[in-house]
Amino acid sequence: MTLQQQIRRNRLRSTIVVFGFVLLLGVVAGLIGAVLDLRLGVVALLGAGLYAIFALVNSRRMVAGMTHAQEIGPDQLRPLRRLVENVSIAAGLPVTPDVRVVDDPAPNAFAAGVRPRTSYIGVTTGLLRVMPQRELEAVLGHEVSHIRNRDTYLMTMATIFAGVIALIADIGFRMILYGGGRSRRGGGALVAILAVVGLLLAPYAALLLRMSLSRRREFLADAGSAELLDDPEAMGLALRRLQLDTTTIAYADASVAHLWVESPTSRVESERRGVLALSSLFDTHPPLEQRIAALEESGGFHVPAEVPPDTPFAAELGLV
Amino acid sequence: MLWLWVVLGVVVLLVVLAVVGYNRLVRLRNEAKTGWANVDVQLERRGDLIPNLVEAVRGYAAHERGVFEEVTKARSALREAATPAAAGEANDILSAALGRLFAVAENYPDLKASANFLSLQDDLTDTEDKISAARRYYNSTVMHYNTGIQSLPWVLVARPLGFREKEFFSAEGDTAVPQVSFTPAT
Repeated sequence: MTLQQQIRRNRLRSTIVVFGFVLLLGVVAGLIGAVLDLRLGVVALLGAGLYAIFALVNSRRMVAGMTHAQEIGPDQLRPLRRLVENVSIAAGLPVTPDVRVVDDPAPNAFAAGVRPRTSYIGVTTGLLRVMPQRELEAVLGHEVSHIRNRDTYLMTMATIFAGVIALIADIGFRMILYGGGRSRRGGGALVAILAVVGLLLAPYAALLLRMSLSRRREFLADAGSAELLDDPEAMGLALRRLQLDTTTIAYADASVAHLWVESPTSRVESERRGVLALSSLFDTHPPLEQRIAALEESGGFHVPAEVPPDTPFAAELGLV
Repeated sequence: MLWLWVVLGVVVLLVVLAVVGYNRLVRLRNEAKTGWANVDVQLERRGDLIPNLVEAVRGYAAHERGVFEEVTKARSALREAATPAAAGEANDILSAALGRLFAVAENYPDLKASANFLSLQDDLTDTEDKISAARRYYNSTVMHYNTGIQSLPWVLVARPLGFREKEFFSAEGDTAVPQVSFTPAT
């Protein structure tokens, strides 16, 4: 399969996932309407829409707050800006995204923003201190791919949808439990049971969809970076370096976990993984090993198990 | 009556497909145009840096007239290049000429240490990186566009409709976008 086919297939899938979300939202609102009150269903749908718009408008600030990303002045870290510029040009982005720095020793990066014009890339100081230029560029390529593929947009939408559905389902469920369940429009018990099952399942379905969306997109962004830089090996080496590093992000906020290049919470989660086989479905990121294997297969090279330390890009920035 | 509806349905479907396909080709062509504009911006930037660079070196090595002429000529050749292929060739010639200019500069430690020269050299390296980035984007848009107008059924009507194949912009003899095979190991 070529990269282009892969990109097309992933785009199609994410479209399906988004439609799935809309459908799910409709079903939940419909159930509330059928079981409780038609007007309530309409109100729930309207409220959900308004909340979604509010969250979209404020997403930029919310993400910056949750990740502790700091803006940097126009004259600071010029070599880093240049790398971001070059990668954005290779991706054909209309404007170069802003760069923000998270003061954290764990190497990681993320992309955020609803549209390419308002997007920004966050990198941790740990990433700059660990990655040599070639691999840092690959990581930036990964983040720029997220912006180019509108992943940041989709993931923001997905996060908001998931929150909305859980909220409505929660309210609906409580209403049924505490006396709202007297069905005024006939149908009675069966509808009520279906409604309860639906309301119980909807939040989980939403969560699952959000995760699967993000996981698939990690493979796609890795492939995108390999294509942008014409260097799949750099991305593979960068992922290996991330894998070997054992520091974890200090402020790992689960609600933005899907935005980072490497899952900021994965090491805690992997210890729990033995408990339930299904839990791998809920991870935000595919295992780094799988991502490296995918790159190896596409580029026909082998990423060594150990990568030697290299001059980090921080040296060029005078940060060491 | 039923047949009429079937025929009508098929006609509507064909029209929709034709419109969607045509719009796709237009979009691909515009992407390739934007891609070339991006390359052009960077080539221009590179050209703009050259007079200053030549002046900086001339201040120390006025007698190296041959090299200055070569660089200036290569620069105007790049300005006049009309097609991506010609621009690629002119860009390579300019790179070679600049290589000789920097070789000359090597002989003048004072020049090499001057802040002006260093910042020009830095800008030039940056611009070259950006040309290479813009080239990768342009070439991938051209590949998609060319594939689009070379596949059925568009290969039959693309030319009459005014869709011409576009040239790749290659530098230093490398080939166009490689086709990377990619399958996630899920």
